[in-house]
Amino acid sequence: MSTITVLGLVLLVLMVLVGGKAGAQSFLALILNFGLLYLAIVLVAFHFSPLIVTLVVGMLVLALTIFMSSGDDLSSTVAFIASAVVLVVLVLLIVPVENWALVQGFGPEDSEDLEGLSVLVGIKFVQVTTATAILSTLGAIAEAAMAISAGLSEILEQHPQVSTKALLGDGIAVGKQIIGTTFNTLFFGFFGGFLALFIWFTGVHYSFGEILNDKIFVSEILMILFAMVSVILTVPITTWVMTRAVAGQRKRAGKQGDN
Amino acid sequence: MQVLKTKRGLLWAWLIAMVVGGILVWGTAHDAALYRDPIMQVTSVETGKATKETDDFHNIDSQTKQVLSGKILNGKYRGQRLTVNNVYSYSRAMDQKYHVGSQLFVVVHDRNGQHLTATAKDSKRDTTLVFMVWLVVALLLLIMQFSGFMAFLSVAANGVLFFLAIVLNGSTQGAQVLWIFGSLAVVFAALTLWLVIGANRQMVITLATTLGGTAFSIIVALLVFHMTHERGMYYESMQYVTQLPRPLFLAETLLGSLGAVMDESTDIISSLFALKRERPELSANQVFKSGRQIGSTIMGPLINVLFFIFVADTFPMAMLYLKNGNSWGYTFSMNMSMGVVQSLISGIGIVLAVPLASFLASRFMDKKKVTA
Repeated sequence: MSTITVLGLVLLVLMVLVGGKAGAQSFLALILNFGLLYLAIVLVAFHFSPLIVTLVVGMLVLALTIFMSSGDDLSSTVAFIASAVVLVVLVLLIVPVENWALVQGFGPEDSEDLEGLSVLVGIKFVQVTTATAILSTLGAIAEAAMAISAGLSEILEQHPQVSTKALLGDGIAVGKQIIGTTFNTLFFGFFGGFLALFIWFTGVHYSFGEILNDKIFVSEILMILFAMVSVILTVPITTWVMTRAVAGQRKRAGKQGDN
Repeated sequence: MQVLKTKRGLLWAWLIAMVVGGILVWGTAHDAALYRDPIMQVTSVETGKATKETDDFHNIDSQTKQVLSGKILNGKYRGQRLTVNNVYSYSRAMDQKYHVGSQLFVVVHDRNGQHLTATAKDSKRDTTLVFMVWLVVALLLLIMQFSGFMAFLSVAANGVLFFLAIVLNGSTQGAQVLWIFGSLAVVFAALTLWLVIGANRQMVITLATTLGGTAFSIIVALLVFHMTHERGMYYESMQYVTQLPRPLFLAETLLGSLGAVMDESTDIISSLFALKRERPELSANQVFKSGRQIGSTIMGPLINVLFFIFVADTFPMAMLYLKNGNSWGYTFSMNMSMGVVQSLISGIGIVLAVPLASFLASRFMDKKKVTA
């Protein structure tokens, strides 16, 4: 058996042991997410518009990740709507910045890997790099949205009469608790992936100015920064969606009470 | 730092950050004098006709020549006017299309001072980078206020440590990469948790869980590697490798999962501490159970965070492989297999941290433990 199969089986067994049915569901979501990511790559290779593919796949990934984890209906729905809004806002930010930064495609550091490959493939790499940046933040958006909405729905459970204005403050308070550790997840996640690149820079003695303008370096740092922006935005947006949902529920409850 | 907790102090901090950041962004657009390599600002562009190109795999692309005229902004050629030939393709994977106003690094060929010619090297990107950093800091301070400042501080502190470790790794020719980044992981975790939680019992338990979970996942990974003889792992597919790939891969995985495991154990343990404060009558077993429940809802999304970070990055190269007539399987092996292995190892660490956090918290959070 290959290493991936065995590691995957170990993960599945552990997830079921620790989380039971929810664990099995999360594992399934992970596999489906991989399938969606690969599908996105194949579709782009077939000349579908990278941005549209990313938006559709992104929405599906968010839905899968959020609804297949355990959680009550209200918090899952709120988390999904909020993360979808964040995704759209993020696209509006990433598209112009990527076009401005000119970090599309590959850099001189990639030449060895590109040996024997034709790079003139007729697909705009600005769009591909934009798609990459958006996809790499999806997990972080879903996680942050779920954490905030779960925290808020717990507060609602304990204090069902809390005013929507107080709820707004609570959302930011929950966000403050998670932001430090979430940033570290992103920092280590990304830097773990770029370790080899950074070692390359010091090994080949790039100057500070060269690193700061290097295509690959800037593109990778931009990905971290986009992910951070998405997490920061998730906090107020999720809180706002939650207050709307609660206000809507109360209105309906009030009308039923009148009848 | 206390001043940041008051409303007025915060407003001032925010204003200062905005203004300083704004000046920095503006400054990077005018900082050519700081660079040693000559930088040219494009003042006019003449674009030629596009010529169609078809490669061996029937990919249709086009190439366009442009003549850029501009002025050197720095160094000994400062003020000199130049023209540079540049070719860009439709897909632009390895080339650039420049516009009027673009700043780019050029290599100047001086032929005895008679006629200056130059070739385009690369685009200048520091302004975009500084702008985005500014945006993140401004949003953080605006929405998260003091906590945002602390979060930023911990990321900055870790960044400095990370840089030092890389320099250290370079000075040992990469022979000790796993030890360097292994010990760095301990320092990282201790520093971050101290900044986020403060120095107390809760922090010690969280630190123990983080280190334990990460260490267990690496041990499990090494066992599986040994059993399967690393079948299906293509170290040669790792990018930018300049030293022995296997220890480097393990160091990357270790660092990558550390943050997520830390995130998770902080969440579980702080919830359990809060629970115990509200209901001190809960027994250790009940605390353990709630810890497991909290953990099992957050582990899935966290594994997903890392999965997308590790694997989405391979998108452009994987797509290029497909466009160059490679099979789906080969494209996966050569681009994504290592990222998937990394995600799985981190996932194992994240899952193992759940019982570990619940166990440690349930047994050791009571200060007045009766030892009768």
